[in-house]
Amino acid sequence: MSEPLLELRDLKRYFPVRDALGRSRGAVRAVDGVSLSVARGTVLAIVGESGCGKSTLGRLALRLIEPDSGSIRFDGEDLHALSPAALRARRRDMQLIFQDPFASLDPRMTVGAAIAEPLRLHRIVPRSGEAARVAELLERVGLRPESARRWPHEFSGGQRQRVAIARALASGPRLVIGDEPISALDVSVQAQVVNLLADLIRDLGLTFVLISHDLGVVRHIADRVAVMYLGSIVEEGPAADLFAAPRHPYTRALLAAVPGRGIQAPPIEGDVPSPIAPPAGCRFHTRCPHAEALCREQAPALVGGEHRAACHLQDRLPPAPPLRDAEPGGDRLRRLQAFFQPAGTDA
Amino acid sequence: MVLELRDLGVTFATDRGPLRAVDGISFSVEAGRTLAVVGESGCGKSVTALATMGLLPPAARLDGSIRLLGREMTSLTPEEWRDRRGRDLAMIFQEPMTSLNPAFTAGDQVAEALRVHEGLGRRAAFDRAVALLDRVRIPDAARRARQYPHQLSGGMRQRVMIAMALACRPRLLIADEPTTALDVTVQAQILALLDELKRETGMAVVLITHDLGVVADHADEVVVMYAGRVAERAPAARLFARPEHPYTVGLLGAAPRIEGGAGRLASIEGTVPDLLRPPEGCRFAPRCPFRGADCARQPPLAEIEPGHAAACWRAPLDRVLAA
Repeated sequence: MSEPLLELRDLKRYFPVRDALGRSRGAVRAVDGVSLSVARGTVLAIVGESGCGKSTLGRLALRLIEPDSGSIRFDGEDLHALSPAALRARRRDMQLIFQDPFASLDPRMTVGAAIAEPLRLHRIVPRSGEAARVAELLERVGLRPESARRWPHEFSGGQRQRVAIARALASGPRLVIGDEPISALDVSVQAQVVNLLADLIRDLGLTFVLISHDLGVVRHIADRVAVMYLGSIVEEGPAADLFAAPRHPYTRALLAAVPGRGIQAPPIEGDVPSPIAPPAGCRFHTRCPHAEALCREQAPALVGGEHRAACHLQDRLPPAPPLRDAEPGGDRLRRLQAFFQPAGTDA
Repeated sequence: MVLELRDLGVTFATDRGPLRAVDGISFSVEAGRTLAVVGESGCGKSVTALATMGLLPPAARLDGSIRLLGREMTSLTPEEWRDRRGRDLAMIFQEPMTSLNPAFTAGDQVAEALRVHEGLGRRAAFDRAVALLDRVRIPDAARRARQYPHQLSGGMRQRVMIAMALACRPRLLIADEPTTALDVTVQAQILALLDELKRETGMAVVLITHDLGVVADHADEVVVMYAGRVAERAPAARLFARPEHPYTVGLLGAAPRIEGGAGRLASIEGTVPDLLRPPEGCRFAPRCPFRGADCARQPPLAEIEPGHAAACWRAPLDRVLAA
């Protein structure tokens, strides 16, 4: 296997917490020893509930924030060893798409100027070729080239997210990280953007890290999935495997909680504990229906081959219940849905 | 019938002219049942909820009829409506943090509702508040009652909101996206709690949501709204088995499933219409793969079989497949 495009090793980042008087009150262990690698041209999804550290991990991977310890290798190069100038040059290869397309575009810049900015910054094309490249990028994301002259406020949420994607693609990145890129959009518009992302990943051979809480979207476009809980990875493996045979009780609880397939078991209890004072031993033991004495005392390591899990009991757990595909609409619904052929352009 | 809406309309005066956010919708809910109102942002589902609660801003004009427990509500004065809100109907919202007062403890806020509606004394109200917090499965309720909203998790805060809503023993609970701000494991807990409370109290629930998965698991009946109108109305199981409005068909295919399968998602092209200038006739027509010349006229919400109605000239859609 070739060398991964992105390789994170034992990354840690704590955020100090102070009270109103500025006294230290410990630290939020946002990312607490994460190792992951992303193979070229593949999609890795990082899933977990709010506060699990997935967004911090995405920003660490791009060195938008600095880790306390650990290493990040991009294309075989240690990002930490780069000078500020070299890191800036590297940025053209790594881009981030944010959740909120309303916040990520400057309202005082036309759409064309917003997309042209990275072209100039990284000297991708000569000034004379700029307009043509912007038009090409707009078409690539399903918008009309004339959109370049318009302002962000003239666009709907879904169209703005397309503009944000075009801007992220402008520098010709090899790695794109999407932090909940469709969560702020309406369901019907989400489908348009998911289809667009899937097309771009395939056509441009992008390496993509999808940070998401939406397990349906993850199942739809990810090759591999990493599940985070309180700053650590509890399970990681090929998407089809992880969804069909989840090994960690937390992954099983997440899948069981996805609505729409009938209520099969009572939901797991309690809330995610505070990341300032995470439980000793396995961090999930306070909510785990299987926890034993060992789980309260000793943190399990992430072990296994292609499909790894951090659970002392993973070889002794009963098999996970199969995902019941409750699609009562059946063949009739599939035939009706075939009429909804996505054309691509919506502006 | 606990709640009956008939030809309900809501119009807002805006700088750019009148905006008809809800345009003649009708549905009803029985005791002990959950009716889901589903649709995307701007479809009018939240405005319908606010209208039913008597919480529309003064700039909104209401027409049609809202009957609660057989009594017409649209003619009530604001004072009378406030009184009904205390006794017969209650509402919970998406973001409990904005509905809770940060300066009072959870217990005090629930107790306040009890003192107003039940005329209880301070001490008795607080004791009942603790009992209510326990009833919404807040562990260690006596201690939690003395905590402030910021000391509680999002799920806990939503439980406190539910306890406040239950304080007046409502016959109708309106839940507007009650779990949208919560994580998926906590969402499952809150929805299970609402189901349990409905069984215990026999109250009717109107569940407003954009999530068809939530509808499938928790609703008895469903109303699908699009651009201020009812597109389809059906018993929940029937809606998922045999959707008859093209918008419902598209929505059902738009959310990817964790079972995987199917390459591209069914996506509904374009965006929802501007309600200041809605399209003539069927409002979904500009995005509909089945549209034709007849769609320039508004189709009536017609029954396909008892309890199942769709506002589409093509319904039942089997004719489209047969063609």
